[in-house]
Amino acid sequence: MNETMAAQFLFALYSLIIAAGGFLAVSAASLVRSMVGLIAALFGTAGLYLLMNAPFMALMQILIYVGAVAVLIFFAIMLTRGEDGEGSTSALGRLVIVGASLLLPLLLGLVLFKTDVVTLPAPELVDIAILGKKLLGEYVLAFELISVVLFVAMAGAVVLGFERRDAR
Amino acid sequence: MMNFAAIPEPALRLVLCIVALAVFIGLNGLLLVYMERKIAGHIQRRPGPFEVGPHGVLTPVADALKLVGKQLVAPEGADKWLFWTAPILSFMPIFVLFLPIEFGPNLFGVETNLGLLLILAFAGFNVLALCLAGWGSNNKWGLLGAARAVSQSVAYEIPLLLTVLAVAFMTGTLDLGEITAMQGAWPWQWNVVTQPLAFVIFFTCAVAETNRAPFDVPEAESELTAGFHTEYSGMGFGLFFLAEYAEMIVVCSVATILFLGGWKGPFISGPWWFLVKMYALLTIMMWFRWTYPRVRFDQVLNICWKWFIPLALANLLLTAVLVKVF
Repeated sequence: MNETMAAQFLFALYSLIIAAGGFLAVSAASLVRSMVGLIAALFGTAGLYLLMNAPFMALMQILIYVGAVAVLIFFAIMLTRGEDGEGSTSALGRLVIVGASLLLPLLLGLVLFKTDVVTLPAPELVDIAILGKKLLGEYVLAFELISVVLFVAMAGAVVLGFERRDAR
Repeated sequence: MMNFAAIPEPALRLVLCIVALAVFIGLNGLLLVYMERKIAGHIQRRPGPFEVGPHGVLTPVADALKLVGKQLVAPEGADKWLFWTAPILSFMPIFVLFLPIEFGPNLFGVETNLGLLLILAFAGFNVLALCLAGWGSNNKWGLLGAARAVSQSVAYEIPLLLTVLAVAFMTGTLDLGEITAMQGAWPWQWNVVTQPLAFVIFFTCAVAETNRAPFDVPEAESELTAGFHTEYSGMGFGLFFLAEYAEMIVVCSVATILFLGGWKGPFISGPWWFLVKMYALLTIMMWFRWTYPRVRFDQVLNICWKWFIPLALANLLLTAVLVKVF
């Protein structure tokens, strides 16, 4: 029972971090503060992975999203520094935005309350050696396809960048 | 009297480890400041600090007291919240970085088979802290320093990861304890013999990742006054400083474990061999600083993208082939 309590407490903590981070990300006037909120949310997600007995995923989440993606976002913010977009939306516009962002959690919450909650046992801890073998064995096609998608996205970004430079 | 047996062993170990680490990091900060200034002095043919205590040994204590006593000032127009988050964010992950390092037989914070990944993941926080510091200061030098820190650390993280991966290929594990266990006591049984190129690339990239000279362009005094920490006073600066030294210790410890056999050494293996190797690497880092002039920023990036990344990739490929063949 003690373990369940601890897990519930941690789940609540991580959810709170994610929610607070998400709120900061959308409500902050300064882009850099928004980024800090995003990082907090990503960090909370890593915590959830940890709770689901997937430490490898949790660490990868931190390594890739916090260590690399967030830093690149910061780079983008710095390269495009101009207006921070303060006061660009009207009060009514803000109200609509808040309402729209609350719609999904409200709907999901409604569904949750209407249905019976099923508790799944904590997943087994999978060794990374097994994970690696599965990725390059059973799921090799999906794994390679994802890398192709990433490659196409990168090539596309480069192409778009060049086109814009020509137009100038 | 408290009954220690009631506390689960991993939790007790964690708490003890964090307390010990706090002491270790603090004392090491003092020691490394003294070491750096003395080495700098002797390399430049002067005695270095000499006034406080015999041979100036109490100088770092005086420095620390001065830093603690200083008023904390945030500049006008700075984003106060980010400004004070940054130094804390740079110091917080340090404790996590030390946890999986095996200083001696059974002398580590947490046992995990993902130790290497844990260190790499949390080491990324430092650059984030530098970004926030540079941005939050509302200072053009700070911002320029942050911009440099970002492009430098993004670039150097790639060869660093590739060389670490080469060792992981060879040993087939990310567990720092197991990597130590696979190496022998004598120098010719260490990974540095089989992976000399990886060791050189790793160590150089580690110098760049910790923003040490000759790659300390994010805080180049002659161009950017002090770079990202221009506006910080007192312990705000102190935390950045302490974090930088702690990170130096971490990268040297990781290099010791990956390439130099960890705590194993000739005759009697133990934590002392670990410390000897770690401090030898730290001395080399300081030696670099006072020997090589600071490189230009475009040179820093060119070395990385044109030399280190291709070399590290070739090394990784060769390692993979050799591992497969033998």
